[in-house]
Amino acid sequence: MSGGVVRLRHSVAVRMVMASALLSVLVAAVFALEQLAVSSFRDASRQEARAKDVGRAAVGLEAVVLDLESGLRGYVISGNRRLLGPWRQTRAALPGRVADLEHLVSADPAQLERVRELATEIEAYQRDYALPLIAIAGQDPAAARTPIASAEGETRIESIRRRFTRLLALEDARAAASTASANSRSQRAHALGIGGLAFSAALVLVLGFYLAQSIGRPLRAMAAAAAELAAGKLSVRITGSGPGEVGELTGAFNSMADSLERDRRALETQNQLLLEQSRLKSELVSIVSHELRTPLTSIIGFTNVLLNRPLDQAARQRYLEIIEEQARRLASMTEDFLDLQRIEEGRLELRQELIDLVALLREQEQLFAAQSTRHTLKFELPPDRPLPVRGDPDRLTQVLGNLISNAIKYSPAGGEVELAGEGSGDVVRVRVRDHGIGIPADQQPRIFTKFFRGEAPTRGISGTGLGLALAREIIEAHGGRIGFSSAANQGSTFWIELPAAAKYTGAQG
Amino acid sequence: MHLNRALIVSLAAALMVLSVTPVSFALTGPGVIRITERHVGGGRVDIGRPGPSIGDVQVLRELLYNTNITRSPIGRAELTCTYTGTTARHCVGTFFLPKGEIVVTGPLLYRQLFELAVVGGTGLYSNVRGTLTVTSLNSGSHATDLLLFRLVP
Repeated sequence: MSGGVVRLRHSVAVRMVMASALLSVLVAAVFALEQLAVSSFRDASRQEARAKDVGRAAVGLEAVVLDLESGLRGYVISGNRRLLGPWRQTRAALPGRVADLEHLVSADPAQLERVRELATEIEAYQRDYALPLIAIAGQDPAAARTPIASAEGETRIESIRRRFTRLLALEDARAAASTASANSRSQRAHALGIGGLAFSAALVLVLGFYLAQSIGRPLRAMAAAAAELAAGKLSVRITGSGPGEVGELTGAFNSMADSLERDRRALETQNQLLLEQSRLKSELVSIVSHELRTPLTSIIGFTNVLLNRPLDQAARQRYLEIIEEQARRLASMTEDFLDLQRIEEGRLELRQELIDLVALLREQEQLFAAQSTRHTLKFELPPDRPLPVRGDPDRLTQVLGNLISNAIKYSPAGGEVELAGEGSGDVVRVRVRDHGIGIPADQQPRIFTKFFRGEAPTRGISGTGLGLALAREIIEAHGGRIGFSSAANQGSTFWIELPAAAKYTGAQG
Repeated sequence: MHLNRALIVSLAAALMVLSVTPVSFALTGPGVIRITERHVGGGRVDIGRPGPSIGDVQVLRELLYNTNITRSPIGRAELTCTYTGTTARHCVGTFFLPKGEIVVTGPLLYRQLFELAVVGGTGLYSNVRGTLTVTSLNSGSHATDLLLFRLVP
């Protein structure tokens, strides 16, 4: 589970997705900043436009107030009541103008308060000054024309104008502040946007470099290695794993190269074996020719003698026995070949019978004791204790006979051949030991190879080289093992181990 | 014992000092007072030839109102005007307001609209300066004037 997590964390796909996500976030942030800048500019433009509208409305209202004062002054000076007509019209327009201005600054409570104060002062000008002065002028024009009356009007108008000036100055200041703020925010947003774009570009470069390093380079190395592999250089490997999937691909390539190299070695070994077997078969042909020719020559020769010469009964009997012996030898050799063929084809059939190996050994001792006067077969068997196993008596007899025969054949100088048997736990073990020529160390690994005869041919020792190969196949088919220990000129000890048919304990020996 | 007596004497002296020291409630900045007055009485001392002439003395008595707050008078005013011509007068007056008095003086040419100098005052208006503009809102027996004090402390 943890391995899976680690692989996921380091996978190229995850890294690419994370890098793409980071890039997307950066681009989105840059876009948002640009939008913020545009929005700020839009707000500032709106504020500026509003300031202009407020300015226009305020100037218009101020003009109306000045018109009122001018109209009032004209009437007071001239005493012409017709001049009051336009004055009244102008005065009637005042509430609408004030309402327009209030509407324009309604979003700004402080400015709205200033406009209302301005409206109050204009109202006071009319109520406390203009209207009474018109009335005074109607009663006593001279009283309305005094400098005091003029000065009062100027004072009031001047106060109203100061309010207009302050209102416009504040509106302009706010617009300027808004513009400055928008500019500042815009500059910041642009700076951040440029920084973000630069960082994005750098990230893209880093990503490209990363891809070139972590994917491109391993892939190039892999392509080069694949070319070498295709050219037959199976020892080529890719060093450095790379991240995630690239590492897995590199590992798979190396595993494939390992497998190819291993297979080629196996093929080479197999080829060597085939060559060896071919050589051995050629040798076999020679051996078989020789081995078959020898008994056949004897058979043909003695048969000719029997057919063409008058012989006494004793001679005829002896010649016939020789012919029979050689024929049996031929039959045995033929049987070995057939056994080998059966084993190789998987057709070897074993009977399952309860057998006492001690009895088998004694039979073989009796059989081989008469064959050589120079060899002594010595027994080391447990007294009155059987060595029971389950198996095919003919095949096991064949194995024991082969081992004893080899011990005799490879002890050309004669001597003791020791036959030993013992049971231990679930295993029965039999040893055949000779004091003959032994097996050189360099030949020991191939001793169970079919048709391998070592130095036997040069020493004039007959045989086909199949005996031990067959013995191993038979013993292993019984679930047992066969082995040996040997040294050149010091003799050999071959042993077999078979599963015991009954358990042996320490008390049983 | 001596300590208690000294303490009592000290406290009594402090109370006496506090009781005779006027509490300052003077104006701290420019201000405008807008009120109205209604003529309620007065008279003229006719000196010399009959009718308004130099030397005549006119006394005006007014009640002061701030109708935004209450319909009742909030104070009164008394002006004494000495005729310096057939219509021109020089007036001195005192306006008795709830938080102090304002003293004005100056020429009066037309009763409908005139301006007097504020030369001082008491209470809230102590040492106050400025102008008083009087505008007639209507005439007759219930003549009403608009009083506009523009004060500077």
